[in-house]
Amino acid sequence: MRRFLGRRFAPSFIAGLALVSSMAPAAARIASAQDMPSTIVIGINLPFTGADAADAANIRDGALMAIDEINKAGGIAGQIMIEPLLKDDGTVAAGQYDPAQAATNTKQFVADPNVMAVVGPQMSGSGKAMAPIASDAGLMLITPSSTNPDITDPNFISQYRPNGKAIYFRTVTTDAFQGPYMANYAAESLGIRSIYILDDTGAYGEGIANAFEGQAKVKGINVLGHDKLNPKESDYTTVLTKIKALNPDALYYGGVQQAAVKLAKQANDVMPNLPKLGGDGVYSVSFPQDAGRAAENWYATIAAPDTIDEPQAQDWVARYQSKFGASPQDYALTAYDAVLVLDDTVRRLVNDGMPITRDNVRDYAQMTNLPTLQGTISFDANGDLQEKIISVFQVKDGLYKYVGAAPQT
Amino acid sequence: MTPDQAVILQQLINGLSLGMMYALLALGFTMVYGIIELINFAHFNVFMSGTFFGLWFLAFLGYGRNAAPLTGSTLALVFVGAFAVTMLTTGVLGAVIERLCLKPLRGVSGTAPMITTIGVSLILQSLILYATNFANNVPYPALVPNERWAVFGSTVEITLKNVLLWVSALVLMVILDYFVRRTWLGKAMRATAQDPEAARMMGIRIDVIILATFFIGSALAGAAALIFGVYYGLTSYIVGYLAGLRAFTAAVLGGIGNIPGAVLGGLVIGFVESLSGQYIGNSWSDVVIFSILVCVLVFRPNGLLGMQRPQRA
Repeated sequence: MRRFLGRRFAPSFIAGLALVSSMAPAAARIASAQDMPSTIVIGINLPFTGADAADAANIRDGALMAIDEINKAGGIAGQIMIEPLLKDDGTVAAGQYDPAQAATNTKQFVADPNVMAVVGPQMSGSGKAMAPIASDAGLMLITPSSTNPDITDPNFISQYRPNGKAIYFRTVTTDAFQGPYMANYAAESLGIRSIYILDDTGAYGEGIANAFEGQAKVKGINVLGHDKLNPKESDYTTVLTKIKALNPDALYYGGVQQAAVKLAKQANDVMPNLPKLGGDGVYSVSFPQDAGRAAENWYATIAAPDTIDEPQAQDWVARYQSKFGASPQDYALTAYDAVLVLDDTVRRLVNDGMPITRDNVRDYAQMTNLPTLQGTISFDANGDLQEKIISVFQVKDGLYKYVGAAPQT
Repeated sequence: MTPDQAVILQQLINGLSLGMMYALLALGFTMVYGIIELINFAHFNVFMSGTFFGLWFLAFLGYGRNAAPLTGSTLALVFVGAFAVTMLTTGVLGAVIERLCLKPLRGVSGTAPMITTIGVSLILQSLILYATNFANNVPYPALVPNERWAVFGSTVEITLKNVLLWVSALVLMVILDYFVRRTWLGKAMRATAQDPEAARMMGIRIDVIILATFFIGSALAGAAALIFGVYYGLTSYIVGYLAGLRAFTAAVLGGIGNIPGAVLGGLVIGFVESLSGQYIGNSWSDVVIFSILVCVLVFRPNGLLGMQRPQRA
């Protein structure tokens, strides 16, 4: 596991620093200045191995950019530096994110007393494994892209947050909106009357496909069938031949990259002109590169507003590009904002003279009301983002082009 | 032709393509088993490595991921070259594995050689993973034009990719058949398979025969690998497992050690996979395949065409 940006200070040095800072006028009013750490650790858990690695790197860079900018400005509230601790929940055996690895990583975060919060996971399948462990430890997670609604659903409290309090915060909304809003878009804007649905058997893929299917039926779209794809399987021509014979108006795919690229390639062979729709698992840096011409005209959504094309974000996009030499996607911005939420949370703790503990970080994060580039971030009692915007994209000439926000009804 | 008949025919075409690939891969399992009674699990990832050897050779020729489709004699020439290079490299890989890892274990009884092949398989997978910088879903250049023909004016389509796959697999099977039946080396191979001791007494150098068997079996896996890459348009370090498992099942189904049996088993599994995907559901294909395997082995323990193995004194 890599560690970025310096190493932790020796305890004696921390004490010395605390003494110095307590003499500073601004810090003098804080009674417990000695308790303030000079560094806190923020875990970052993303699948750097496997099919989604390119997106994981895009998201990681968004988070690291925020940490770097905060540290360069003197740290949180001018005194607390952030040290990122990166962990990879993708494994060679899975070829993509691996919930078992995510659980192991979470236990390691929990075991490190300096870790105050974790940015991640990217994938809801990992999130389902991480949430109960983090809940037991009172460690908050803040995800820039995991959208499965079950994890924050109060009906599943005993499963995903046995401690009761919300620990799974998001800077994106959930598939309870992403799937249905896309069904609205399919019915209203694309005029689709019949559809076939596929998912990749993952927690995210199944969830979003089912949410899409439910609303599609409400909208009067004829759902001709719903099949599952094994992401490790090479051949999808069989199921595509079956779909072709049913002659649907469109195909909806819920899932992430490993199956998506193969599906796009083979669907282009079998049904080149059929409209193909997906969720944010398809909105990926690598999808148009790996699928090539077969990716053209695919629709994809994200569970956030499309900020990076907005004028107010151009300075941010330019900073990202000059730092990493690559273009950010919207989930790099939501990761950046996730770190800003943590920055804001710890700053409020410092201002209130509260000790920086996991429980306090969680409680103060719950009360977040932070204006950011993507809009004002505030959470409901379950940790879900209050703002619920789904943006639709389409691949044109190998790039995602924003087509508009999906209708809410 | 009714729509129902059309979809069955289209699935049979899909099944034939799958089956031909499994058959080529199954031949490698069956030939090695026929000679030394070893299930060579390294074969899974020799196949997987072959998909990358083919990809790298095409990239070396200048056909990167965005290369335009080829036509006519250029297409034929590039493919003959790619087949030759891929088969040669996987063949050499198979032979090297035999010489380095299995020859020292000759005569060791029990499962040691088989476990060794599993280890070699994992090593190959890791090497490819590092060589490709942990990439997943590595795209193949789309060199075959998207030509398609309607069958009898119906909705059933045969693509140029299908035709290339069938022709190349068939040509290789015919060559293999001729080689095993007619050539000196093929006869020596059959003699070794029937009775290694007697073959040795007749002056056949068993070690050379075993090496040649590994080379040929692995070369066929290389051919299957190139076909796989071109047919699906991409590869990844995990493709060896499922394809290898089904090909191995095909070899057992047909009667392991039996060359026509491997081809028959491959075709049966290809058809079962595509038809069960149509009528039972995509996610149930493996259940159906292995149920059929169990049923066949209960009633014909030696497989459809009978097991062939070396006779031990």
